[in-house]
Amino acid sequence: MIKITNLEKFYRTEEVETIALNKLTMEVNTGEFVAIMGPSGCGKSTLLNILGMLDDPDEGSYMFNGIEIAHFNERKRADLRKHNIGFVFQSFNLIDELTVFENVELPLIYTGVSSADRVKRVEEVLDKMQIMHRRNHYPQQLSGGQQQRVAIARAVVNKPKLILADEPTGNLDSSNGNDVMELLTDLNEQGTTIIMVTHSEHDARYSHRIIRLLDGQTVMENIMV
Amino acid sequence: MIRNYLKTAWRNIVNNKFYATINVAGLTVGLVVGIFMLLWVQDELSFDKANTNADKIYKVGIVGGTGISKQIFNNIIAPVATFAKSEVPEVKDAVRIMALGDAPFKYKDKVFIEPDFAFVDPSYFTVFDFPLIKGDKRHPFQDNSSVVITASTAKKYFGDEDPIGKVVMMGQDQQAKVTGVIADYPANSSFKYHIMMPTSMYNYQGYVKNKRTYDNKSFVSSMDGDWSQFGFQTYLLLKSDVNMAALEKKLQAIHERNKPEDAPVPYLTQPLLQMHLYKADGTDGGFSTVRTFGIVALMILIIACINYVNLSTARSMLRAKEVSMRKIIGADKFQLFMQFMVETAFLFVISAVFAFVLMFVLLPYFNQFSGKQITFSLTNYNIWLCIVATLLGTLAASSIYPAILLSSFEPLKALKGKVTVGIGNVAFRRILVVTQFAVSIVLIIGTLVIGNQLKFIRNKNLGYDKENIISVSMRQDMKDHFEVVKNELLKNPGVLAITRAGRNIVTDGSSTGDSDWDGKPANSNMWFNQIYADKDLIPFFKMKITEGSNFKGVVADSAHFLINETAVKEMGLKDPVGKRLRVQTITGTIIGVVKDFHFNTIHKKIEPAVFQYNPNYCWNLYIKTTGKDAQKAIASTQGLWKQYNNDVPFTYAFLDETYAKLYTTEQKQGSLFNLFSAIAIVISCLGLFGLATYSAQVKTREIGIRKVLGASVGKIIALLASEFMVLIIIAIVIAMPLAWFAMQGWLQDFAYKINITWGVFIIASVGATLIALATISIQSIKAALANPVKSLKNE
Repeated sequence: MIKITNLEKFYRTEEVETIALNKLTMEVNTGEFVAIMGPSGCGKSTLLNILGMLDDPDEGSYMFNGIEIAHFNERKRADLRKHNIGFVFQSFNLIDELTVFENVELPLIYTGVSSADRVKRVEEVLDKMQIMHRRNHYPQQLSGGQQQRVAIARAVVNKPKLILADEPTGNLDSSNGNDVMELLTDLNEQGTTIIMVTHSEHDARYSHRIIRLLDGQTVMENIMV
Repeated sequence: MIRNYLKTAWRNIVNNKFYATINVAGLTVGLVVGIFMLLWVQDELSFDKANTNADKIYKVGIVGGTGISKQIFNNIIAPVATFAKSEVPEVKDAVRIMALGDAPFKYKDKVFIEPDFAFVDPSYFTVFDFPLIKGDKRHPFQDNSSVVITASTAKKYFGDEDPIGKVVMMGQDQQAKVTGVIADYPANSSFKYHIMMPTSMYNYQGYVKNKRTYDNKSFVSSMDGDWSQFGFQTYLLLKSDVNMAALEKKLQAIHERNKPEDAPVPYLTQPLLQMHLYKADGTDGGFSTVRTFGIVALMILIIACINYVNLSTARSMLRAKEVSMRKIIGADKFQLFMQFMVETAFLFVISAVFAFVLMFVLLPYFNQFSGKQITFSLTNYNIWLCIVATLLGTLAASSIYPAILLSSFEPLKALKGKVTVGIGNVAFRRILVVTQFAVSIVLIIGTLVIGNQLKFIRNKNLGYDKENIISVSMRQDMKDHFEVVKNELLKNPGVLAITRAGRNIVTDGSSTGDSDWDGKPANSNMWFNQIYADKDLIPFFKMKITEGSNFKGVVADSAHFLINETAVKEMGLKDPVGKRLRVQTITGTIIGVVKDFHFNTIHKKIEPAVFQYNPNYCWNLYIKTTGKDAQKAIASTQGLWKQYNNDVPFTYAFLDETYAKLYTTEQKQGSLFNLFSAIAIVISCLGLFGLATYSAQVKTREIGIRKVLGASVGKIIALLASEFMVLIIIAIVIAMPLAWFAMQGWLQDFAYKINITWGVFIIASVGATLIALATISIQSIKAALANPVKSLKNE
């Protein structure tokens, strides 16, 4: 599904140039659950953002489903993104003005799904995430665990092929964290490819494979058994 | 999709009541004031447009006099219209109007003094769109003694009875039969005659029944043969594409051919559509005021828009996360753009609803204040056009920029809090605040200058005494018994003095160019303002004689003249006293020079004037009272009036009030400007208040850190306030020259005016600064006093 080759990304200020990704090469197959680990500043988030088409690389190749997208403009990337990728963030990033239902509904609105279909699909996914009873609540009225479940529901409602999770349990206690990881595992078992950035060895154990980064380069790959 | 937008919009308003209130309040006030002013402007620009032939109707005038006495006469001689119709092919039709004003009409026991009485040609009803709604359209006047009235006049005289065929009495003995009724004039018509008789009646009374002579030798046979009386407003209905300059020459040729001694007498024409806002010579006659008001209306609307733009862009940082998430989830730029457009539109609809309610409530006051008769009738297409255009324009101005800004966030950076609304955006907001305050300061300076000029007008030494003087326009009987009336009134202890004159001393009167004197330059065509007087006029008004002496009240005075200083100068006389002077048919001697005084508005320079001793022409009675006894004096005058003119209602005026009325327009402008600048500053302060609040919020952490490091409350207030004070100072610097130029232009219209002093600028600047400082301080003090532990935790 994903194949990146010699990917490079620099951050420049007037005086300093920082290399975030240094000729990084990796591959993720359809149906995989990959964890990316490494110390702060190793380039995990930069990688995730490029994989999620929120950012573009300075050098190198990024093949997504066989298409070279490294030099796509923002509009093309956005179009590809909204049909293929779901995001889960550490800080949930729900929209405060919208209810649980409306938050989950939003991606469907933007992809032009009809109103009747939207209700059906949102209810389906809320049910799956066991958050249906909270459908008319606002994010501030929910616990962290519940908010992350809503965020996951929002990420999957469009049936993306790929879910990118950026420390999805970082703001949760261990019990809620485990629930979230179980959810992601379920999704993966149903066929969704997942790439997750994490600091937690515990969470990483849910994945099939761990890629460890240091200074923008892969230093080690562990295959989980 | 739209539903989702509206939902978000509504929840945003509910969650941010403070900003929503500031925005709605600013927009509502801006819309109300802006729309009212634009309606006023629109009404002013719509005068006489309702006439189908409006673009082909021209008013005819002549230029009289030279030098300082050069002026344009809007009333011309009667025969020009008749000749023009028969000799000038471009002329399709002509209308003459002889407005006499204040004619007494009587029906049964009802007596009215009709100020809007005129003799008109029958073409009045066809050239203009004033068709008869009752009576014979083709023959509005059946004979000389026919009268056409307006619907409301018919109601006034006859109630619900059919007015056609009713006979009213004009004056003592002239019967007038109603043969036609026209609809009431629209409010934006320059023509307001409510009772009209045919010009043929004027001809009968002025030339047939009573003989008329100008030289005591021969009689003028008819008004069409009278080349001396300049009394007719004359309108020509022309064919298309007429060369106006050539037409004017033809009219001049007609005049000079028939009365060579008037030559040169240049003619000029003025389009009907320009009559309301321009003077006859095409110079400004109100248009600049209309333009100023239009500009001020736009400025106020712009200030209101700026508020919205300022607040919503300032707050955009707080919405960066939401916008980013929407983008990451799949919203494209256009969808976000639309979302913010809908949000603005939503807030706008709320403001517009409030504005409508307010306008509806305030309309009667607005009409009273502005002297308009605007109604929000559904059929009044123009009004709705104006309102809708204003709403859409304002909406576009305030929605597009914030929508573009918000929808163009880069999601990744925004999510991380590194919003790219950096320097550029802040600078833009600052420019907006500067604009708002610059406009407000210009308006404040404008208010002060107008106020000062009005004060100058009130306190100006006019060269005569106008305090506690009652003026009464006498009728024949009373005038003929002036001496008796005078002696009776003087018995009254409250009456200090009595005099009479041929004109109202504070307003325009008759003038003549028919004069000659020893040493008159060949090329001089100087016109005299004529003031008929008795011997008491000069001392009564405390005017000064600088040379020679006053009239003595003897028969010989009828061949004596007093002239004013300007006349001396314009005539080119060295020692005027004793010099020969002829004015019209009277040849005599100049016996004295009167110090210049303002017998007209101070818009005009003092013109040459001649005082002629002729009690017979003195229709104006002046009574000087002690002030507190004024009412007693009025009562006894009324008693005497009844004794002589019982058939006509008694009216009087205080001279200082008549004088004040000359400046009604300026006074209205003054109070409107007061209002506008107050509103502009209030709206600007609302915006500033919102920004200061926001700024204090954003800087909560900075303030917290500074306080932990030991900054005093005073220092922190200074830090927050200084950011805005710099902007106010820039606004002042920009506003001062703008205001100076604008007000210099306004003052141009006065021949006698104040100088714009530094004081005005200082007062306006200090005032604006203090108001702004007070606005900012509320928030700054609150922020500075906050507990730093709390504010740091917040972050």
